[in-house]
Amino acid sequence: MNEPALRVATHNDRRAAAMLDDVRLATPRALVIIPALNEARSLPGVLAAVREVVPEYDVCVVDDGSTDRTAEVAARLGATVLRNPINLGIGGAVQTGYLWARERGYDAAIQIDGDGQHDPRFIRAAVAPILDGRANVIVGSRFGGNGYRSTPLRRAGITYLSWFLKVRCGSSVSDPTSGFRAADRRAIAVFAQMYPSDYPEPEAIALAQRHGLKVAEIPVEMRERSHGSSSITWWRTFYYLVKVSLALLILPVPRTTADEDGSP
Amino acid sequence: MSSEEILHPHLRAFATTVLLAFVLWVVYLVRYHRLSLRDSLLWLLSTITALAITVFPSTLEVFTSAIGIVAPVNALFALTFLYVLLNLLATTIAVSANATRVRRLAQECALLRAEIEELRHRLPRQPGDAP
Repeated sequence: MNEPALRVATHNDRRAAAMLDDVRLATPRALVIIPALNEARSLPGVLAAVREVVPEYDVCVVDDGSTDRTAEVAARLGATVLRNPINLGIGGAVQTGYLWARERGYDAAIQIDGDGQHDPRFIRAAVAPILDGRANVIVGSRFGGNGYRSTPLRRAGITYLSWFLKVRCGSSVSDPTSGFRAADRRAIAVFAQMYPSDYPEPEAIALAQRHGLKVAEIPVEMRERSHGSSSITWWRTFYYLVKVSLALLILPVPRTTADEDGSP
Repeated sequence: MSSEEILHPHLRAFATTVLLAFVLWVVYLVRYHRLSLRDSLLWLLSTITALAITVFPSTLEVFTSAIGIVAPVNALFALTFLYVLLNLLATTIAVSANATRVRRLAQECALLRAEIEELRHRLPRQPGDAP
């Protein structure tokens, strides 16, 4: 006797559930990717700052074979931990994050360094153009913001790389070495499929450009590193420039999605 | 020029022995599963070519006149370089391909591990679990 009423209720429930699903699907899901190598001391600060700025975003820390308690700290602070069983270098670590983003179907992925030099306050500004569909990739450039102190050599190198990228593939990014990035679904798919290995930042821009993605930039401020030292010392800057120039000169061809390999 | 003038008979005998031993070694490695047939193909092909040239040095003259080398011995040096370079490049290609595969596998491990952690957290705590 009650059955018809019950059925109606169920039907309504289902409709409500479907509407809820619609709402959930309409709300974009974003993932913050934090590559970290022996950053157990910096991570708590970085994760707290990210949580404060974008509490609704998921956070994953890619532990690229750390020998300290990086993974433990990240897990305790509620981040998803992706542990590379062997050290893959920054390119491989970042790609692990993009693979996770692709697998979990995130609408946007934001990449910030685990050493605390990227200010999470700029995450929303970086994601906005991604979700509006104004760009596929956003690079956080430090020259737009406050005066970023750097050695003259490094600044000259960055200017040169920016020029080279413009000549080679027409991108206009003033700070191509910045590891502060945001990517939309298409860019996530491209980066999950192939990502350069060492010193990957400028090459990744070229890669995105080659796949017909729109790369834009926003100004960000960067802080002094809170712990540890930069992976690029002054004498390595030269090697960096030669390697990246060569990579940009040769520039691997875009691959069809049928291929399933990792790096170019 | 006769074969004798290009390569001294003793040298020919020695080179033939060495190359033959090399071919047999490669075959042995394949037979005992220490070298895959696919990777051995280039070695076998290039070594057998070298063997053919050593046994019939007159083939060198065709090559020599074709690209304008005066002394056939120089052509032999050039071919030796080519032989080493070719095999070295093939090896590097294989190493690169392996590096890519290892990277992808390591990443897959990372993803699976995260997946397992997530599932484990959803389960009620079992006795004997790590705290």
